[in-house]
Amino acid sequence: MPGPVSNLAIENISVDFGGIRALTDVSFALESGSIVGLIGPNGAGKSTLLNCVSGITRPTRGRVRLDDTTLSALSASSIAHHGVGRVFQHPELVAELSVHDNLLVACHCALDYGLFGELLRLPNVRQQERDAADKVADVLTRLGIADSADKRVGSLPYGHRKLIDLGRALLMDIRFLLLDEPIAGLNDVEVVRLGEMLLSLRREFGLGILIVEHNMPFVSRLCDRLVVLDLGQLIANVPPADVLADAKVMASYLGEAADA
Amino acid sequence: MCLLLACVAPLGVNGYVLYLLTLTEIFTLVALGLNFLTGFAGQISLCHAAFFGVGAYATAILTHKAGVPYLVSLFAGALLTTAIGAVVAIPALRLKNIYLAIATLGFGVVLQKIIFEWRGLTGGGGGLALTAPRIAGYELGAAGLYYLALALMTLGLFGAWNVTRGRTGRALLAIKDSELAAGSLGIHAPRYKVIAFAISAFYAAIAGGLFAYLVRYINPESFSVGLSISFLSMVVIGGLGTIGGSIVGAAFYVIVPELLRGIKDAPGLVFGLLLVLVMVFMPQGLWGIARRLLGRG
Repeated sequence: MPGPVSNLAIENISVDFGGIRALTDVSFALESGSIVGLIGPNGAGKSTLLNCVSGITRPTRGRVRLDDTTLSALSASSIAHHGVGRVFQHPELVAELSVHDNLLVACHCALDYGLFGELLRLPNVRQQERDAADKVADVLTRLGIADSADKRVGSLPYGHRKLIDLGRALLMDIRFLLLDEPIAGLNDVEVVRLGEMLLSLRREFGLGILIVEHNMPFVSRLCDRLVVLDLGQLIANVPPADVLADAKVMASYLGEAADA
Repeated sequence: MCLLLACVAPLGVNGYVLYLLTLTEIFTLVALGLNFLTGFAGQISLCHAAFFGVGAYATAILTHKAGVPYLVSLFAGALLTTAIGAVVAIPALRLKNIYLAIATLGFGVVLQKIIFEWRGLTGGGGGLALTAPRIAGYELGAAGLYYLALALMTLGLFGAWNVTRGRTGRALLAIKDSELAAGSLGIHAPRYKVIAFAISAFYAAIAGGLFAYLVRYINPESFSVGLSISFLSMVVIGGLGTIGGSIVGAAFYVIVPELLRGIKDAPGLVFGLLLVLVMVFMPQGLWGIARRLLGRG
């Protein structure tokens, strides 16, 4: 069920690292229910921008706003609590836990009990843990990996681990999802499945999705708009078809995309 | 089954064995607490002997000098130590690995020095001699203390087991793996590190309060960095991040030197070598080996 429409706005973001300017005055917005691709050559500032939105990097100037909340003043964990989820390029799973328990870690925000109750495992703690386990089971089914629930994540193929990482984002009750190169390292079948999954997330939950990705066919098929960065500056924010037609974008980007 | 065995154990053993069993229970409590911090959250502490010592002194002073009932002072001392643990955690938030180890080493030395210098309260280097504590008018003898330690250890195991399969345990493991990724899942790493230090200090202090009345004499020397290293060894030998490992590690630490007692002049040497061998061949600890042998790892 899509919730109320939200707006994630990147407003005049600049980021300096020492003397180096990674992003210069970048602004664009992402509404719930839209899928936006963030493209550009290596070093264009795509990951830096993602880091700004998820609270890992603090912008030197400008701000990130989610409706009326300024996210750029918050810690990464509070940003997650506000419903902005981040999936890293390489799956960041807890190696010593099972698939099921890795997904349970992502229920952190949804669980609401105190340490004292947890020490004694009071009835409300047990109830909440059961509910979380049910949600995890649903996500495992949706990802098509229910039979791997009890396996340790370390033993699984890379594609599965990326799926689990995405599954964790799904458990977080998020309104916006940030994906960093989601299809890198996936095989063709997995790429198709991931694309379908993202579309169904948008349809069912009205999720707004921001994707950093090199693969042009993938982003142009999936995204409503593409934001193109080059040397830290936004040079286009247009529908995918226009990017392919834009000579400036072609020059800065597509030469490289051909090798990717 | 184990619990049943533990309940009847004092009936059949002599005083010295009972002392060793009680000591194992006490060290198990410390190891359980330290495991939250080191095994789960991945933070090294070399000040746990000081937490243990503060718990011991606070309990002893409250009971012996202020006349507070033993159980009340045991928990009051533990709460005081918990607060100290949380305070220690704050500067520790900025540090990792070896730097954290050195900083906590410093804290341990400072706390031990405070105990030493605050002579009016602690008796300084002369230490404190204690008499058997009383609970509800009954004097707590060796067997009584054994059962009290057993009860508290069981509670400690229950709490640790609950926390490790709950939200906090998972959060600690996530932090150990990657604070960045944990943050993106909504886990506030600094908060959970403080919690880990605080719980860990609580366990150490309860153990300290029991220890004071097991040995009936404490002095600052007992709570040196050497003991902190022993605690850390227990956790690593038993198995990092496992609850069973805390019991096994504590038992190993208490029992093995006793078994080696017959070897003339060499228990220290043999024990040291044994530690090295365990670490080289069983990096996942004795508990990990046991699980693998039972086919559950």
